[in-house]
Amino acid sequence: MLRFLGRRLWQIVPILFGVSLGAFAFLHAIPGDPARLLAGPDATLAEVQAVQARLGLDRPLPVQYGYFVRNAVVGDFGRSYRSGDPVSRVLAEHAGPTLELSVISTALAVVAGMTLGTLQAVRRNTLPDYCSTVLSVAGISTPSFFLGLVLIYVFSVNLHWLPTGGMTQLQSVVLPGITLASASAAVIARFTRSSLLEVLGEDFVRTARAKGVTERRVLVRHTLRNALIPVVTLVGLEFGFLLGGAIVVETVFSWPGLGWLLVQSIDFRDYPVLTAEILLFSVEFLAINLIVDVLYAALDPRVVYR
Amino acid sequence: MGTRKGKGLTRRQLLRHTAAGVAGAALSGIGGPWAWRALAQGAQTLTVALYADAISLDPFDSNDNLSLAVEREIFDGLLGFTPDMKIRPELATSWEASKDARSFTFHLRQGVKFHDGTPFNAAAVKMNFDRARDPNHKLKKFSLYEPIESIDVVNDATVRFMLHSPFGAMLYNFAHPSSRIISPAALAKGEQYIARNPVGTGPFKFVSWTPGQQIELARNPDFWQSGRRQADRLVIRPVVEDASRVAMLLGGDAQFVYPVPGVQVDAVSKASGVTVQKRWSIYAFYVAMHCQHEPFRNVKVRQALNYAVDKDALDKVVLRGFGRPLDAPMAPGVAGYSQVQAGGWPYDVAKAKSLLAEGGFPKGFETTLWMGNQTETMRLGETIQQMLGKVGVTVRLQPMEAATLTAVRYKPIAENQSQMNLAGWSPSTGDADWALRPLFDGDSWPPTLFNLSFYKNAQVDELLKDGLSTAAPAERDKDYAEASRLIWADAPVIYLYNSQILAGVRTGTTGAYAMPDGTVDLRDAGLTGK
Repeated sequence: MLRFLGRRLWQIVPILFGVSLGAFAFLHAIPGDPARLLAGPDATLAEVQAVQARLGLDRPLPVQYGYFVRNAVVGDFGRSYRSGDPVSRVLAEHAGPTLELSVISTALAVVAGMTLGTLQAVRRNTLPDYCSTVLSVAGISTPSFFLGLVLIYVFSVNLHWLPTGGMTQLQSVVLPGITLASASAAVIARFTRSSLLEVLGEDFVRTARAKGVTERRVLVRHTLRNALIPVVTLVGLEFGFLLGGAIVVETVFSWPGLGWLLVQSIDFRDYPVLTAEILLFSVEFLAINLIVDVLYAALDPRVVYR
Repeated sequence: MGTRKGKGLTRRQLLRHTAAGVAGAALSGIGGPWAWRALAQGAQTLTVALYADAISLDPFDSNDNLSLAVEREIFDGLLGFTPDMKIRPELATSWEASKDARSFTFHLRQGVKFHDGTPFNAAAVKMNFDRARDPNHKLKKFSLYEPIESIDVVNDATVRFMLHSPFGAMLYNFAHPSSRIISPAALAKGEQYIARNPVGTGPFKFVSWTPGQQIELARNPDFWQSGRRQADRLVIRPVVEDASRVAMLLGGDAQFVYPVPGVQVDAVSKASGVTVQKRWSIYAFYVAMHCQHEPFRNVKVRQALNYAVDKDALDKVVLRGFGRPLDAPMAPGVAGYSQVQAGGWPYDVAKAKSLLAEGGFPKGFETTLWMGNQTETMRLGETIQQMLGKVGVTVRLQPMEAATLTAVRYKPIAENQSQMNLAGWSPSTGDADWALRPLFDGDSWPPTLFNLSFYKNAQVDELLKDGLSTAAPAERDKDYAEASRLIWADAPVIYLYNSQILAGVRTGTTGAYAMPDGTVDLRDAGLTGK
């Protein structure tokens, strides 16, 4: 297990290097001049050139990339073109809100999705199954900006129960959390259902029932645990996506997370922040994949890493 | 006995303490917002939602409307703008300009202190503008102060600026929202510090800035202009999504929101407790035509396209009535504006067709229109496309994301692929010079400035130069009126419309304005308690 972990951690280094090169090349390939954008719409050429020099954009690209790698290795990702603040501080400011939102909405999605999926599997082809299937299909196909705005108008504008947006109070997370969770919950429910149905048909389930194990125990101990592996993979992926910042939901709810930062940074072609964000997302995905692999071993004793 | 006490907590005590601690933390967590609300009710809080976050709070290094809007509350300038963009005194009580527009003398308000207690005086003014005009600081707005040659502290209450050469629009540069006076003590702490810790003399003091969340200001009890009723606390929040911003207003989470998109105005007008504030902007919207390339080299073709576009229909269909046809190359709210053609360029399809034929294109031609990709801009482009189609001009629409559009537009003429450009312009100084020179001067072709038409008329260039050679308003007005007439006739652009600024206000909110230049003025913002 330890050797496996060590090997996987080592693999991260070349992957991140590749990602940084790809991100740098890609960002500079799309049209847009950060100095011009930052100097403002009515800036003179002299003003634009002043900003260019201040940002170091007057140096050749390979030189800029060299500086970036040299500093990034020691954890310095430079300063944001837009605000002039260190990139690490900018990311830290926005990572907290995104983490909070991701954890809460993933928890909501897992609880709601697995409950719904189990219900569908156990009561398959009955009215509750059909109803919750409709619900989960609706969840998957409702665009999040639409659901978000509906929730705002119902619960904030009309009922005054919750704030319309921002991150000003503890309750602020409720509406964006539900909005984000709904699509994930629906997908998790579909996965749980099909995975459970597959396991419920296995021989060992029949054996368990035959020897008189209670239905509840059959479901929880024997079936659910075995059905969980694809669901865990899915939850890991969904969580990874959420950690990258939910661009639409964060925009609708003015939630100052990484998705919000991403949009704003693209508007200004803020290369240092964008590159660092892309690297951060890669690290998050690599970490989540690793955790998911380790979880397989915990859930299924047959999985052994060497 | 002693040993027993020395052991400290028993397991049971520890559990009890932990439980109490957890409960306490939970209570304070839940209580936090409520406590904050109670506090906010005792001390009046006015919440404002704007469409983006500020970038910097150093006025001399700000060129975006949001940063300038926040700075307006914290700082004063020597001069400022009224909500109608007229020059008004702030830290200067009176001023004189020499006739040759080279020397400007300001008499300063006495007894004013910065928020950090530093006294305001002529030396503070000199320090600010010496920094602003020094190119080594690479500040975003340094070109506003490039004309300054020297600054003399005549005495504590008088300061005199000498310019390298005459610059008749200089008073407007001093009233520009970037020209604010920062505390010398704060300036001494360096650029990084002042960008995040603004210290001025204005009606509100800076409290905190949480990027992406909010900027908090508190009323300055020692503000020099007494007898005003500002709110105790001003919270400015960035809300990018239009529908969310309107929801904040309707739900009562914000008392003032800007902008309200035209399509939402009906919904806001119908709701109780809120009104839509309308004010004519100084924005002029137009379609620039590349005058150095075919098919737009011939003035008749450019005039034909002006006849072909029905501005009143654009106003009704796209702007929902919140616009009016341009009747000069600049908006009526700009200082130095004079009307060229009442009612705007006439709509006349027959005339357009005959001019096209005279210009060598009896069957019309194909061309491409570059534009932004916002919903309203797209609708505007589509409507223009239909109108030009009626006179045989086939327009391909090419919407682009803002940063890409900026990049391709600013290419120098040799590489610039543009034919037609849908654009808008607002002179940030509020003056005719900055309304005309960047768009129509022969020296303003990209990448230097925003002359997207690559228009050049030596007579116009001469008049624009002459307009800067004096500070006497009557003489300047004459130059700009003449230049406007020439530019209008040459038609380097299709003159479209001047738009209204739309903001949403909750009843009981006073002194909050959306300004004609697209910034906001909250210097007097307060709540009547109703």
